[in-house]
Amino acid sequence: MQAPAQDPRVTTGEPTRSRTWRWTAVTGVALLLLVTIHMVAHHFVVEAVGGLRTYQHVLDYIANPVIFVLESIFLVVVTIHAMLGLRSVLFDFGLSDRHKQLVSKGLVALGVVTVAYGFVLIGVLASRA
Amino acid sequence: MSERRTEDQASGGVEEILRARSAEGPVERKAPGPTAWFDIRRRGTGHFAFSLNRITGLGLVFYLYLHLAVLSQLLGGEASWNGFLETATTPLFLGLDVLLVFGLLAHGLNGLRVALIGSGFVPNRQKALFYTLMTFGAILLIYSAIHVFTAEG
Amino acid sequence: MSAQDQVPATAQETRRVRVHRFKRDDGPAHVDEHEVPVGARTTVLEALRWIQLHDDATLALRHSCFHASCGTCGVRVNGRERLACVTPLADVGSGTVTVEPIANLPVLNDLVVDMTPFVDRFPEAHAIVRDSEFLPEADVPEDLGRFMRFEDCIECGLCLSACPVSATDDSYVGPAALAFAQRMLEEDPGTVDRDALLDWADQDNAAWRCHAAFECTEACPSNVRPAQRIMALRKDLRRRRRDQGRTVPEIASEDGA
Repeated sequence: MQAPAQDPRVTTGEPTRSRTWRWTAVTGVALLLLVTIHMVAHHFVVEAVGGLRTYQHVLDYIANPVIFVLESIFLVVVTIHAMLGLRSVLFDFGLSDRHKQLVSKGLVALGVVTVAYGFVLIGVLASRA
Repeated sequence: MSERRTEDQASGGVEEILRARSAEGPVERKAPGPTAWFDIRRRGTGHFAFSLNRITGLGLVFYLYLHLAVLSQLLGGEASWNGFLETATTPLFLGLDVLLVFGLLAHGLNGLRVALIGSGFVPNRQKALFYTLMTFGAILLIYSAIHVFTAEG
Repeated sequence: MSAQDQVPATAQETRRVRVHRFKRDDGPAHVDEHEVPVGARTTVLEALRWIQLHDDATLALRHSCFHASCGTCGVRVNGRERLACVTPLADVGSGTVTVEPIANLPVLNDLVVDMTPFVDRFPEAHAIVRDSEFLPEADVPEDLGRFMRFEDCIECGLCLSACPVSATDDSYVGPAALAFAQRMLEEDPGTVDRDALLDWADQDNAAWRCHAAFECTEACPSNVRPAQRIMALRKDLRRRRRDQGRTVPEIASEDGA
């Protein structure tokens, strides 16, 4: 029996919607946990109005390695989910194939910039602690 | 008078359609457009859930960038952050915090419903799932609102 | 059944019925109002026929079977998709009734839409057509059981009209086409290329475009439950992807590669 000329799992060009739907769902479910941790840790355990930390408290908090890793994961996952969600809304505008590719590339770029900025932010703050 | 109309009308329906097919002029298209998902008038629970998910999703994307901008105040040092804290503890701001929690709960819990239903689990329970999750969310929202407004410094 | 028989002779009350009107060579759409005599069980279709026969002969509408079997008389009544022939006016509250054509398809004439784009969305897979087994000369297949199917979808288009994604973008294949595909896979009459059908469903604008609003299931007058079928189709797609993932290494190892 001859092997297939091309691995059927390899896709060419634009990913099908099936992967984006799946990744939106998976990141979304992960966020249920991550957002809960983030909200509780930031706003529901601090004894302050609105549960907000002072400057020094923020620095001490983000310098904690466990917290740093968790916030990093949260940042990446939330950005992926947000970009995929935006893609879904924008694609419902009945775009041409070319415009869809532009939108996809644009959102990837926006996502990368967002994550990069977030890492810079928490990196600088952690280093100040 | 009605008898004569009935005779005329015997083939009137078909004639009208044939005439319409060959008529000049544009056809009309009802309710088109990229914001049609927004219109929930006279629609069911599922459509309402979908619209709510989209609106809260867009709101949360806006909040993501607002949040990053606000956190940038930390880069400016203690004085800069304290300036923000003063605004952030006003009743209006705390109210917006509660709105944020509403958005997170509505989007998150309904998103769980979409993930479950959309993967083929319990597709016959989509309405019940929506109401159960939103009720649970409402309880959490009330608790959060109380906490946000009554936490002491 | 003549039109005069449809409205009870003892009709006491009237209902105000507002009807969407549009002629292609006659400017923009408008709404006409009629006071229609109604009885306790007068349906929307009967009211429309009364208007056609007694008030305005130029009103164009479609209907055929009078019993929710042909799917021809789909309209929107007070904004909700209904089959006019089986919708009693008594079910539509007690105030003014507004009748419009179904949404998301081009309107040709008053309440008549062009169903061509609806039919065009369906995939190429065809169910088999055979002689009825009740005819003496019929050529009946041995395994008749496999070929019997209970056809639910009457292709009325109400699901497409109700779908918020279809309202947003014409390129979405829509609930009816997806439900049809899933039904072909489920019934598996042996004449359908399963892979081709799943390929069709796995596209950008097919099974994954649905946002689980479930309006199609709400609107369907015929128990097709398109939304549930779309979710079942997704399960089929995932199962296939899992199976395809396992098949490739097997083929490679058989080849000795």
